[in-house]
Amino acid sequence: MTMDATPMSEALTPRDYKSDIKPVWCPGCGDYSVLGSITTALAELQLQPENVAVVSGIGCSSRIPAYANCYGFHGVHGRSLALGTGLKVARPDLTVLVASGDGDGFSIGGNHFLHACRRNIDLTYIVMDNRVYGMTKGQPSPTTEPDWAESALAPSGTGLRPFHPLVIALASGASFVARAFSGDLLGTAALIAEAIRHEGFSFVEILSPCVTFRPDEREWRNQVHLASVEPTDDPARAARRIMTDDGFNTGVLFSGERPAYSAATSDGPSVDAAYFEKEFEV
Amino acid sequence: MSESKKVTVEQMLARAYAIEREAQSRYADLADQMQVHNNRELAELFGKLAEIEGKHAAQIKQRAAGAELPYISPLAYRWPGTEAPENVDISVAHYLMTPHHALKMALKGEERAVAYFEDLVKIAADTDAAALAEEFVEEEREHVELVKAWLEKYPEPEAGWDEDHDPPAIQE
Amino acid sequence: MSPASSKETSDRQSIALAINGSGGAGAITAGGMLLKAAARAGLYGLFTRSVGPQIRGGEAAAILRLARMPVDAAADRCDLQIAIDWMNADRFAGELNLGPDSLVVADSDADEAPRVIVDSGARIVTLPIAALAKSIKGGRPNMVALGIAAAVIGLPREALDAEIETTLAGKGVGAITASKAALAAGIDAASEIASAVQLAPAGPAGDKRWIISGNEAAGMGAIRGGVRFVAAYPITPATEILEWMAPALVKAGGSLVQAEDELASINMIIGASYGGVPSLTATSGPGLALMLESLGLAVASEVPIVVVDVMRGGPSTGIPTKSEQSDLNMALHGCHGDAPHIVLAPTSVADCLFTTQWAVHLAEAMQAPAIVLSDQFLGQAKAVIDRPADLAFIANRKIETAPEVGYRRYALTADGVSPMTVPGTPGGQYTADGLEHNPRGTPSTAAGDHSSQLDKRSDKLTGFDYGQHWADIEGEGPLAVITWGSSTGPAREAIGKAREDGLAVKLIALRLLAPSRPEEFAAALEGVERMLVVEQTHSGQFLRHLRAEYGLPRDAAHLCRPGPLNFRAQEILSAIRELQ
Repeated sequence: MTMDATPMSEALTPRDYKSDIKPVWCPGCGDYSVLGSITTALAELQLQPENVAVVSGIGCSSRIPAYANCYGFHGVHGRSLALGTGLKVARPDLTVLVASGDGDGFSIGGNHFLHACRRNIDLTYIVMDNRVYGMTKGQPSPTTEPDWAESALAPSGTGLRPFHPLVIALASGASFVARAFSGDLLGTAALIAEAIRHEGFSFVEILSPCVTFRPDEREWRNQVHLASVEPTDDPARAARRIMTDDGFNTGVLFSGERPAYSAATSDGPSVDAAYFEKEFEV
Repeated sequence: MSESKKVTVEQMLARAYAIEREAQSRYADLADQMQVHNNRELAELFGKLAEIEGKHAAQIKQRAAGAELPYISPLAYRWPGTEAPENVDISVAHYLMTPHHALKMALKGEERAVAYFEDLVKIAADTDAAALAEEFVEEEREHVELVKAWLEKYPEPEAGWDEDHDPPAIQE
Repeated sequence: MSPASSKETSDRQSIALAINGSGGAGAITAGGMLLKAAARAGLYGLFTRSVGPQIRGGEAAAILRLARMPVDAAADRCDLQIAIDWMNADRFAGELNLGPDSLVVADSDADEAPRVIVDSGARIVTLPIAALAKSIKGGRPNMVALGIAAAVIGLPREALDAEIETTLAGKGVGAITASKAALAAGIDAASEIASAVQLAPAGPAGDKRWIISGNEAAGMGAIRGGVRFVAAYPITPATEILEWMAPALVKAGGSLVQAEDELASINMIIGASYGGVPSLTATSGPGLALMLESLGLAVASEVPIVVVDVMRGGPSTGIPTKSEQSDLNMALHGCHGDAPHIVLAPTSVADCLFTTQWAVHLAEAMQAPAIVLSDQFLGQAKAVIDRPADLAFIANRKIETAPEVGYRRYALTADGVSPMTVPGTPGGQYTADGLEHNPRGTPSTAAGDHSSQLDKRSDKLTGFDYGQHWADIEGEGPLAVITWGSSTGPAREAIGKAREDGLAVKLIALRLLAPSRPEEFAAALEGVERMLVVEQTHSGQFLRHLRAEYGLPRDAAHLCRPGPLNFRAQEILSAIRELQ
């Protein structure tokens, strides 16, 4: 039990990180718990809300910035990582959380995902994976099972091998890779707190059921289980583990040390524009 | 519970306070959800539950008689389950839910709270702390009875309570 | 000699010349050195290059105009072409445009001059360029050609020797000696040629001058304006802006990220700007097309950004290494929805600095995206220019540093610009959104919110005081030439020639293409009876824009043709004469 010098009355509580905007997610949606996990993680770290930015794309999960009492940006579909990268490089003092869904993050956003992992940019990427496009009424997403046949767009299922985000993240160079389940609010909060603390690109896939279009995902609570092994800092070991993953292991898969992205910086003091004139002078 | 250290009176009070505040926050969130989804009956019900939890929290604060309760970070509580024990499971809410469903959730919450304080009695640091924990057990047992009585007014609804003839609406 | 050339011997004001060669001959290097030497000698100049499709070893032509006044246009005619060889050289014929008064000096050992060169009527003489180079240890034919050029146009040897010393400083004494010797050999060989194309000597250089390309100038303008974050994705012909800015930004305390694609680069600059840092990216037509969705995001969320589009031949992959003015439609109207934003276009290489700096200032002042339409001709040409004046236009964003409770990011204000909090400011938290929103920033579908926010985003641009920079308006007359971008240079030159012939012609060169300035435009057209619209497009994008925005009369004349060749003053002058 940690005792802090901060008296309880002065400490920030999870509620202090929630805005007064009421979410419009369907009651029962896993994203409510994820919001709880994020605000709990922020309270655990006692970060000042004005020093945190939540950046998102488009989709149900991407509504989250407005529900947090931090600075936020609700951008266009699939580009949340690019927004977050620009913000973090320009403002390294901020804690940047990027929130996305499986469609926004792995379909249209797939390319930016690869390169954010490569850069190992120091931000936390939270993808609320419900294996469906909820906002547009229930089409398969890259993580949807190949035989899910409930969509008008793919009435016999996609037949496609699902995208495996943890494999991709690990292979592309993310230095912190984890999976969580929204039904475990505090466990997920702990993972998010660790992800924020980690210096480098921290990827947390949160299985977050969609009660409206994937009622079958209610079963997830019975299928998820804590991974039976400790996290590793050896990418090869992590790779071997993830190749036999059943998709429901939760916990940190990989937490390694790799320098986080840093844009080139000057050795000396900054110059002003006049400095560059001599290059052009006749 | 993974607790092996002994729990003092202040820590008891801090936890009990946190439990009520968390429950209040949870019910308030659910009230908001129901209000946004135009389920007025449940918005009022959850609002009432939030109010009750708020009163409990205030009572515990009074018990602390103005002493500053120690700050415990959210993860440091190490609640036995996935959340503070009295928090109802947010994932089983439904926009068409009825008071029966809500009160069943509340009942489970109160029962979890009873079990939690019963465990705390066993690891109380001293007799004062143990006595305090016993008091909390009693209070939570009363809450259980209150909710049971309340629940009796709302029998389980017929099948079809969650039927909505309108299709989902697209938003973006 | 024809009358024109005998007039030229002592008071010729400008000369156009080219050095071409292939297979690593070094024509471009020679051209660059010639420009610098000419600048040392007090001349202005413009240097462009034309190359084949090969990455190395291809045919290349260094094309220069040297003059006693600033040069902003391609020459009507090439006065002097020095051909190190003729391999695939007919490619350059259209661009150079030789005529009966032109002089061609070709290597004696080269093939026969191509048909198109011979048919031009140019006087062709040969000199043993390759042989001379071979006779000197370490001598190269491009240095011999450089010497020939210098001699024929009357450039002082000292200026060239100084340039050789500077340019080859890193290559050792041997290289310098060899190059000077080759230069001397060329000068001596050329003394036999009657110099019909000699430039009158220039006066002293006066105030500091620069040699700079339009792309470099845009980078300088960005830094001067306060840009400190750039996201870069390379694309011809814009890459040099990004490459120049990469080390410069770092020295200035900023940063540059190479993005994975243009979809990323525009979103990165939006993110950085949301964080409070003035940001910019540079691209060309295909890249801007990719960026349009997110440009709309910057409009809707009121985040200032600058996107420089160095236009090239379109559509699609088009002609990447040549210029055109055909991205106008996309820059003005490419966003979905009603997404008003700022569109600017520099009118010369030097103006690339001013216009980019101004773009940063405007974007920041109005919290909106600004597109700067440069083009390949301006971007990649190197010009000798007067040192650009220091300007007061810097990034000056309206920032809210002490937000009150209930702070509203998108509050409706008198000028439409609402103070912006920057992350890190307590109490100023808001969520920027592409969704339509109310003044607080909360998403809204209400009609009142949509119309008032649309009004806000539009009025803030139309209500701004742009001063006199919205256009360059020069001269008076019943005929006005209306143009923009790189077509301005040749138009200005044509008008100058027309004035010499006693014709009064007004120039209206737009710098601000959006928002429109109806009052100012109407004032500019006072007393104008006939109009000539000049643009480098196929479909007449600029004319349609003028008609739509300014009600230009149907009988306005139109000189309109696409790339890859840039306008020459002569073409515009002919059109002007036809309208008399």
